[in-house]
Amino acid sequence: MKRLVSLIRREFWENKGALRTTPLIIGGLYVVFLLMSIFTTAHFDNELYTFREAVRLLAEQPAEIRAAHAEEVLLGSSVFFTLVLAFVVFFYLLGALYDDRKDRSILFWKSLPASDTMTIASKLLVAMVLAPLIFWVIFILTQVVMAIIASIMVLSVGENPWTLFLSVVNPLEAWFLLLLSYLASSIWFLPMYGWLLLVSSFAPRIPLLFAVLPPVVFAILQMWISFLRTFTLNNNLFGVIGEWVANSPAILSIGVHDGRGMLTLGAPVNKDFDHAVTVANIIDRLFSVQMLAGLAITIVFLAGALWLRRRATDS
Amino acid sequence: MTPILSARGLTKRYGRTVAVDNIDLEIPPGRIVGLVGPNGAGKTSALKAILGLATYDGELSVLGKDPSRQRAALMEDVCFIADVAVLPRWIRVWQLLDVTEGIHPRFSRERCLEYLALTKITLDHKVKQLSKGMVAQLHLALVMAIDARLLVLDEPTLGLDILYRKQFYTSLLNDYFDEERTILITTHQVEEIEHILTDLIFIREGRIALQATMEDVERRYSELLVKPDLAEQARALGPLYERELFGRHIFLYDNVSRERLEGLGELHTPSVADLFVATMKGGDS
Repeated sequence: MKRLVSLIRREFWENKGALRTTPLIIGGLYVVFLLMSIFTTAHFDNELYTFREAVRLLAEQPAEIRAAHAEEVLLGSSVFFTLVLAFVVFFYLLGALYDDRKDRSILFWKSLPASDTMTIASKLLVAMVLAPLIFWVIFILTQVVMAIIASIMVLSVGENPWTLFLSVVNPLEAWFLLLLSYLASSIWFLPMYGWLLLVSSFAPRIPLLFAVLPPVVFAILQMWISFLRTFTLNNNLFGVIGEWVANSPAILSIGVHDGRGMLTLGAPVNKDFDHAVTVANIIDRLFSVQMLAGLAITIVFLAGALWLRRRATDS
Repeated sequence: MTPILSARGLTKRYGRTVAVDNIDLEIPPGRIVGLVGPNGAGKTSALKAILGLATYDGELSVLGKDPSRQRAALMEDVCFIADVAVLPRWIRVWQLLDVTEGIHPRFSRERCLEYLALTKITLDHKVKQLSKGMVAQLHLALVMAIDARLLVLDEPTLGLDILYRKQFYTSLLNDYFDEERTILITTHQVEEIEHILTDLIFIREGRIALQATMEDVERRYSELLVKPDLAEQARALGPLYERELFGRHIFLYDNVSRERLEGLGELHTPSVADLFVATMKGGDS
C-alpha cells in the first residue's frame, strides 16, 4: 500500500502541470469571464438598470423554477471541465508507459522493487480516480468563488442573494452527481484507457499515431467491406466508439425533455439507456451488457500492456 | 558459500544475432567483479538478463531468485546504476528520496542525506539542473544508502571528468563495499577500476574469454620486455601476444614460469588493459 501511494505521488509530481495547473487555469478562466461580463454589463448598462430588472424578474419566479435554473447552471458549467479532463486523461495515459522508455528513466524505475503490475495500477488509478478528483475539487472551488461574486452583484442592486438563489438549491446534490458521473465514466471508458496504456507500452515512437491510426484503418476497412457487401455504411468501429460516448454516464450535452432543454448523460441519440441525469441512470450503465463486454476487452488490453511492460527497457 | 549469481547456458538472442552465447558463470559474495569487453560483446545484454530487464534462455539465478519472473522481489537486494542519464529529469531531489523511501524497504534516508551533505546537491534541486557529475553523485548517494547485497554498475562513470570518476570509485570502496556485498562493474575505462577489482571477466562475441581472480591473473600472466636480439628466444616460449614499443619487444605469456623468463629481460605483471588487448587479439590467430 505504501508503495502504491508512493507511485501515485510520483505520477502526480511528474504530471503536476496537466493534473493541477490545467484545472486551475480553467477555473481561473471561468472567474475572469464572469468578471469581464460584469464589467461589460456595467459599462453599457445605465446604472445597472437592465441587470436590476433581470434580477427582479428572476426573483418573481417561483422557487422551483429558480432551483431548476440554479441546478442546471451548477452542473452545466462542468461540461467544459469534463471535456478538458478527458483530454488530460487521454494524453496522460498515452505517455504513461512511454515517456520513461523514451528518456531512459525506466532503468531507474525498474531498479526499484515495485512490480510492473503495481506500476500500471498506479497509472490507471491516477487516470480513473486522482485526475477526476482534482478536477472536481477545483470545479467546486470555482463555483464557490463565482457564487460569491454573483452574490455581491445581486446585493449591489438591492436584492437578497440568499432568498434569490443560494437557499433554493442544494449544491451538494449537484456536486455529488458530478463526482459520481466522473467515477462511473472512469469505469465506463476503461476499454479506451486500456487501449491507451497498451499503445503507450508498445509504441516505439509517437504514441498518438499508434493510438489513432489502427482504429481508423480498421474502421475504414470495415466501412469498405460492408459497403461492398450491402451498400450501406453502418456498424463499424467509429459507430461503436461514437455510441460508447453517447451512452456514457458523463454529463455532456443538453437534450430536450418536456419541451425544454435539460442536461443529459452522454448524448441522447439512442434509446439504449435513459439519459436523464440521475444516480440510478448513472449506475445503470455500469451493470449493462456493454459494460461487461467493455471490461472483457479492457482485461485483454491491460494484460497486453503488462506483458510488454515486463519486457520493456530503454531500447 | 552460496553464490550471489549463477548462470548455466545463459543465452540471449535478438532475432538472429546471438548477444550472449551459452555463458556459464558463478560469482561468490564479497567480490568486485569487472565485466570487460569491446562494444557489442554482450555485456549490457548479460546485465539486463541478470537484472530481470530482458528475457533470456538458459538458467539464471541471482540471490536464489529467477530475475525474469521475480524482478520486483530481486530489486530489494540488488541495486543498479546504468550510465548517468537514467534518473528522471523532472524530479526534485526530495521527491526522489521520498519515492525511493516509499518503495524500497532497505533505503535509509539518514544515510543518503549524509552522503548528499558532502556534495553541492540540495533537496530542492531538479535533476535536470544538475551537471552530469552531480547526477552521478546523487545516484551513488541513493544507492549507497540502500542496504543491498549486489550492486550492478553499467558504465557508471561514462562522460564524467576524472575528478568525479576517482571520487566515485573511492566512495564506493571506502563507504560501501564489505565482505557481504558484491559489486559487478562494466566499463571501458579499465585502468581506473583495475586496482579495486578482485575478479576479472572478459567477454567477447557473447562468450567468456577469460574468467579469473586478480591473484590468478598475477600468478598466470607475465609481461616481458625484451631487446631485439633476444626476441627470437622469447618468441619460442609461446607468448599469447607480442607488440613492439620503442624498439623493444613486449611479450605476454600465459602460464609460463617466471624462472624461464627472467633471464631474457624485464618482467612485469601485465595491466588489465594489456591483458585485455592480448586476449581479444590473441584469440584471433
